[in-house]
Parts: sequence; structure tokens; C-alpha cells
Amino acid sequence: MHPPSELEISDISDFAGLARPDSNWRSGTGRGISVAIVDSGVDTEHSDLTRRVASSVEARAENKRILFDPSSSGDSAGHGTACAGIIARIAPDAELHSIKVLGPGGLGDGIAFLAGLEYAINQQFRVINLSLGTTKQQFFSPLHDLLDRAYQAGCVVVAAANNLPQPSFPSVFCSSLISVSKSEETDSFRFGFRFGETIELTAPGVNVRTAWPGNLYRSLTGNSFACPHISGIVALILEAYPMLRPFQVKSALYAIAAAGKE
Amino acid sequence: MPLADNSNLEANLRRIVETADLGNALVEPLSGSIENLLRVLAAEMNSEDASVLVRQGSDGELRFLSAIGKVADQLRNITIPAGKGVSGFVASSGQPMAVSDTTGEEAFYAEVDRQTGYSTEILLATPLRHNDEVIGVLEFVNRKGDPPYKPFSPEEMDKAALFADAIAPLVNAYESAKMFRDIGEAGFSATGIDTVLVRKWLNEIRGSAEYREMMEIAILIRDIASRSAAERQLCREMLETMIRYADQKDESSYLTH
Repeated sequence: MHPPSELEISDISDFAGLARPDSNWRSGTGRGISVAIVDSGVDTEHSDLTRRVASSVEARAENKRILFDPSSSGDSAGHGTACAGIIARIAPDAELHSIKVLGPGGLGDGIAFLAGLEYAINQQFRVINLSLGTTKQQFFSPLHDLLDRAYQAGCVVVAAANNLPQPSFPSVFCSSLISVSKSEETDSFRFGFRFGETIELTAPGVNVRTAWPGNLYRSLTGNSFACPHISGIVALILEAYPMLRPFQVKSALYAIAAAGKE
Repeated sequence: MPLADNSNLEANLRRIVETADLGNALVEPLSGSIENLLRVLAAEMNSEDASVLVRQGSDGELRFLSAIGKVADQLRNITIPAGKGVSGFVASSGQPMAVSDTTGEEAFYAEVDRQTGYSTEILLATPLRHNDEVIGVLEFVNRKGDPPYKPFSPEEMDKAALFADAIAPLVNAYESAKMFRDIGEAGFSATGIDTVLVRKWLNEIRGSAEYREMMEIAILIRDIASRSAAERQLCREMLETMIRYADQKDESSYLTH
């Protein structure tokens, strides 16, 4: 999907209205919204995910460059499948795109992670789920540039925070993305907004039961499982208001979360 | 000993021995400290088994550096490919996670469980970081007592992150010491010398009066150097003067006794 022109940007004027129980986004399914999952791959055979994964690619290192090939290797760790399962439960008709950057064969370093994010931006996927992060200073600047590109392209990047004393990237770049940490909330549609904090959003991330490779299910805890909850909700909001820019999506999330606290 | 056939051998061998000595002197105590700390942390987490995995090689596969619990000995021989399984994900992504609820279908930590016969029911894995690099993974597996086990809580996850910060410098020091030891071992191989002979010789000099004398001198230097910067500077200048003098005289007696 191409980003909207300036004249098309604003298709919402009443953010507070989004918080109402009968707001139209709540009855959506994410149809027509592409969601990239930059992770360990996705088990497309899982019964929760069949026909929901529109594409799967896999990073390959060649001459110090990263290339992306169609992937049929599935999920090497389970994590990507778990994230996809959470998104599919919230936005069952969203188009999922798996971008595998973790796995054997030299993958898993920061370069593949950055390349995966760049691939997602180039494809102009509307939502990019990054349940990964890095603390390597060398990636600070390139990640910052990529996130600015994502913002300009109208891609909403949702990243998991890290439980670390030192900053982890990209979750600290709060102006150009949406950072999420875990809460013990059990309702997938209830999330919090921590106004003024670097990590602004909280979403369910404790004992979240979700898909696992081999048509299994697991209960998982971690910030990286809070992140796909918000990615799914963003898909619903974008389905209802497809022209929203990333900063408007964040405003919408804030309005919904603030109303939820009342 | 038939070791001094060429003129460089003595100096090379001395460097190798010093390197191996340094590594050997640190590897075992550090390994013991990591295991002891792991035991304390596992008790604190009410966990039955715990392990430290470290990244190795350019592919970043994981090997078990230390483990406590029922299958600890078997784990030490197992490696996990990069990005594979929960620990592989945590090492590659830097994201901690806890997994539970296996519902008896199949252990999610399948490959390792298959090799050890163990049944992983719940698992908490958190990255070990040194500076800004992930160097390994700290894992806690199952609880004390019988299943079903209570899942690891968010508070325990935060606690595990603090434990990881405490154990990571030790793991990094162990890996550095091991690297020194391995370089020493590789040095032996490169010289083509029978390592058994060199070790025997090494043990002999350790027990010798000369070696003890060297240790006493080292202790004296440490005592002087620990006083103040002025003493350290004086000590350094005196020693450098002595080395220059010794070099000129070419009277090294390291291997000839």
C-alpha cells in the first residue's frame, strides 16, 4: 500500500471517540492491513495461522550483504510463531508477512535485524512488529535512520522494550515508533499508556497463551509478547482509518488507553 | 629435556607457558565460582535446574558452560545452533522470555531433552551481557518438587535479569581465561612439541626452588606496587633497567638448568 498524500492524511477528527465501546475499529478484523513480523520465522502450518501468512522471506548473508529469499524453513525458535499467533487472534484477517532474521547460518547478528527492518519498510508494510532489540552502540545511528524512513513511509513500527539498565534499540526511539512493555492484564484489548515515559505503552505480556511450532500452544511471558498485542490493535485501527499517519496512530492509542483507565 | 634445538624456541616456549599458566590459573576457580553462584541463584528462584550457556564461534552457537541439576553432566557436551530453541532466540535477540504450559504434548526444549532424557516443563531464559554484547544465556528450568510447576512470574524475570548482570562478568572472565589457555595449548601444537613432556617439565619447575623464588619475587613486586603510584613507578623503572641489563648480558637461564 502506498503512503497517503498530505490531503488524504486526516480521516479522523475525534480521537476520543475511538475509546467508545461501540467504536468501529473494535469490530474490525485487520482486513487489508499488512503486518510484518521481523523475527525467527513463522510456522505457516499452524492451525491458527493457515492462510494468514501472505509471504515468508528469510535473510541470507552473501559477501557481507544480506539478501532475502522466499522461506520455507518455518520457525527456528518458536518466537515468531508466538507473535504471529497473538496478532492473528486480535486481527484475524490481517495479512501477515514473516521476515526471518534469526536462525542458523550466521543470522541473528544486528546486521540481519536491520536488513529485515529495511526490507519491511521497502515493502511498505503498514505495521512492523519488532519483538527484538539490540544494545550495540554501532546500530544506534543506522536504526535511527531506518525508523525515520519508516515514519516518512507511513509504516507504524511497534517494538518490544527490553528489561535492561542500559538503553536498547530501537525501543528508546520513542518519537518514531511505539514501544511496548509487558503488563499482567489478561484482556487483549486493554492496554496502558505511560505518558512521558520512554516506553509509552503496556500490554498483556504475562503467561500469554499462543501458537507454538508443531501446532502446539505455549504460555509465554516477556515484553516481546506484549508488542504483538499492540501490532494487532494498530491493524484494527488502520483498517477503520487507513489514512492515519504514525503519530496519529499513537494519539489514537493514547486516547483509547486513557479512556480505559477511567 | 630435548627442547632447545633452535634459538627462538626458548623465548617462544616461555611465552606459551606463561599464557597457558595464566589461563590454567584462572579457568578452574572461575568455573567453580560460576557453578557456586548458579547454585545460589537457582535456590533463590526455587528452581530445580539452572545453566549458563555461552556463545561460541562465528555462527554464534551455544554451549553449556556450567549447569546444575539432574542432567548437568550430559548438558556440558551439548551445543545448540544459533537462533535455535528458546535459548538460541534469547541469545540472538537479547530478549528475555519465560515459557510454560507444555501440556504434556512434547517438550518445547525438544532437542536437548531428547539427548538428556530430561523433561523441561517451565523455563526462564535471560541474556547475559558484557558491555553491549550478548555473550550467553542464563536459564532456570522447572521448580523444586513435583510438576505441575508454578510459572515464572514477571518479578522473577526481573530478578533473573539482575542475576544475569551479576554472573555475566564472571562468565566473560572465564571465557577470556579459557582463551588464554587455548592459545597456550595451540602454541604447544604449533611447536610440534610433545605436550605431555612440556607439562611434565612445567610441573617440575613449579616444584623447583627457582620457581618458588620467582613467586616470592612476584609477591614482593605486588607489595611494592600496591603502595602508591610513586612506588609503582620506581618499581617499574628498576625492573626495566634490570631487564635491559639482562638483555645486554644475554644471560637468561630459563631452560638451561
